Amino acid sequence: MDRLLRNKKAIILFIAPAFILFTLVLFVPICKAVYYSFCNYKTLHPIKFIGLNNYVKLFTKDRAMAAALKNSIFFMIFSIVTQFVMGLFLAALLTNIRRGRNLFKNIYYLPCVLSSAALGLLWMFVFTPKLGINQMMTSFGWISDCTEGPQWLFNTDGYIILPIIVISFVALWQYVGQSMMLYMAQISGISSDIYEAAAIDGCSKSQAFFRITLPLIRPMIATAMSLNAIGSLKFFDLVYNMIPEGFLGDKAHVLATHMYTQAFKFNKLGYGSAIGCVLLVMCLVVTVIINKFVKVEPYDM
Amino acid sequence: MKFRKVLAVVLSAAMTIGALAGCGGTTAQAPAPAATEEAAPAATEEPALAATEEAAPAEDGEVQEITFMVWDDLEASQDLITKGYKQSVDRFNEDFAGKYHCTPITTNLEEYYDKLNALVTAGDTPDVFIASPGANLNDYATTGVAAKMDDYLNADGWKQTFTSDAVFAGGTYGDDGGDGPGIYAIPLNIAAACVFYNTEMFADAGAEVPKTFDELLDACQKLQDKGYTPITISAGTAWCLSMVAGYLCDRNGLNLQDIKDHKTDWMDPKVINAGKQIQQLSKYFQKTAAGDDNDIATAAFYNGEAAILIQGSWAIGQINGSCAEGFADKVGVFAFPAVDGSSADPNRVIAKSDSLCMSAQTQYPDAAVQLIKYFVDDTASKYTAEVGGKIPVTNVQYDTAVAPPELAYVMDVFKSASSTFGFYNESLYDTEAGSTFDNCFVEIFKGEDPETALEPIQEYYEENVW
Repeated sequence: MDRLLRNKKAIILFIAPAFILFTLVLFVPICKAVYYSFCNYKTLHPIKFIGLNNYVKLFTKDRAMAAALKNSIFFMIFSIVTQFVMGLFLAALLTNIRRGRNLFKNIYYLPCVLSSAALGLLWMFVFTPKLGINQMMTSFGWISDCTEGPQWLFNTDGYIILPIIVISFVALWQYVGQSMMLYMAQISGISSDIYEAAAIDGCSKSQAFFRITLPLIRPMIATAMSLNAIGSLKFFDLVYNMIPEGFLGDKAHVLATHMYTQAFKFNKLGYGSAIGCVLLVMCLVVTVIINKFVKVEPYDM
Repeated sequence: MKFRKVLAVVLSAAMTIGALAGCGGTTAQAPAPAATEEAAPAATEEPALAATEEAAPAEDGEVQEITFMVWDDLEASQDLITKGYKQSVDRFNEDFAGKYHCTPITTNLEEYYDKLNALVTAGDTPDVFIASPGANLNDYATTGVAAKMDDYLNADGWKQTFTSDAVFAGGTYGDDGGDGPGIYAIPLNIAAACVFYNTEMFADAGAEVPKTFDELLDACQKLQDKGYTPITISAGTAWCLSMVAGYLCDRNGLNLQDIKDHKTDWMDPKVINAGKQIQQLSKYFQKTAAGDDNDIATAAFYNGEAAILIQGSWAIGQINGSCAEGFADKVGVFAFPAVDGSSADPNRVIAKSDSLCMSAQTQYPDAAVQLIKYFVDDTASKYTAEVGGKIPVTNVQYDTAVAPPELAYVMDVFKSASSTFGFYNESLYDTEAGSTFDNCFVEIFKGEDPETALEPIQEYYEENVW
């Protein structure tokens, strides 16, 4: 193996596919998108450089952008907090049970492997007034008619509108298994000697969790939080599939749906690129912040 | 050791090839750029093939494969007009077997333009695609995506088969046309937006067919008092509500050209009044109008759950295609009522035509034109009237006894119309303006003060149009 790693040809050979793919599929399109974000670029119209106009419009005149930013930031904070708490709770729970661990692990992880588009449609039916939850509430006698119940996906009152809150919970349900698996992998790697030594010193289960488990899985907390933050900022599928586009207008956009609408529905590829660049910068900033504040120190486990 | 080296090289190569293979590739339908450039001049130089041309194998022996994109599922749809489109494609494929072949690309209406735009942007424009005249067609006709059809229409008297030049109005462009002045879309049929009503429910409630907006409110009240849902409509699919908003703006006397020319603006009392009338009317909508999409809303009428459906005459195809037997006999049609006290012409009708465009980059323009001809030949046009219940655009003689009775009602409305106008959301400056208009009226429907709710469209015009 050492000899292989000293062979420069082998190194180049193994790095080349990833490097070429990264450059062609990611780096070049990002550079082009950054350039287009400074242009007035509409489908099949000539590209015209307009400087910062797209960004100025984005932050000063675009009502949908304001709503999209608000919704995406709410979505990100909600996802980071709830997935951290629920993911860690489930991971701690499952690593401490002996029977049925794999069964529950698979059950919690199952929604992650299902198509978001299909799940979006299913959940849309669940929250549609004439079907699902409202129908159930009617049969229990909680409401007189299914149309009298909460308008889960159509109520636009309040600072954070109900559809976004509903979708946040659906996203938590779908992706909590992923966080759980990450935390479980890290918790499983902690040596049992440490817990045994702590138990001999009189450490309770909860003390062991907060004093041993939590500090030792910090690297994974930073990783999981970064993944959650990026994933929730660029979230698209559930919002697009669950919310009736026409009814909610600008209020229910998140950054990704706003970008899609501008770029492909209105053919404003330059403006859409500007939204994409804002999204990219937000993802980078949030990742840096998380990695700065969740200090990662190497532990020998 | 040697085996491991060989294995490592083979696996690396497989990984690289596999990864690059996923990056895409051209299909038989996607013309290569070079081929497209060569084919483009030929499109204008070569005359269209005669509609009666017999199928003969292509010179090089290869079948010319073209694509046709439409806003419905040709295989699964119960809509009779869509079924007619499928029949046209099938007839084309059968008649030109071994020479031309058409593969439909189907999607749903809500996502149609998004997907079409994505294909156009990717340089993979379908050879033939359907479009609505107005802002949507503008996007393709003025940017060189759609081909100019004049040479093909004039080549063999094809144009004379249409009822009049007026049917091409929506697809005709001046200097702003991508290839100069000319016709960029071939109309297939005309649909007029009317008010469909359940005659049994009206009779039971003692409601009269309304001639004015106040009479409409009165009829709705009677229907509601009798326990019926007076109107079913979709605010989830915004154009449905927008269609009613467009009618109300027009009936109040708004002239869209005046808005475009900035002789008035979106804060015009006529628009504000239309907003207030939407709010008055919304008291009679089904309770779930907010979230129901068009399919759910129309189904409420077809299932006999609501008394009134304000819809284009394409509804006739659905009423006769998917409703319970006997339901069609209960359906009546009337024109959208006048607004009391308004001097506006109450006989104007919203009309919309499905139109076909040919891609300017198609590799096989002759095959594409032949396909379009199959959508407006006598067989297709007879089907349009007799089965689909839409107004044909060609001089075809159809059997009025066979055609759905609702078509006769719609024809009455259409014939007594003084003039027609397009859907508002498709007639504004561009698709974004149309979408903004839709959203404004959804906000009004939800109870927002019309003056506040109309601010986005006002700002959009100030920013982009005036």
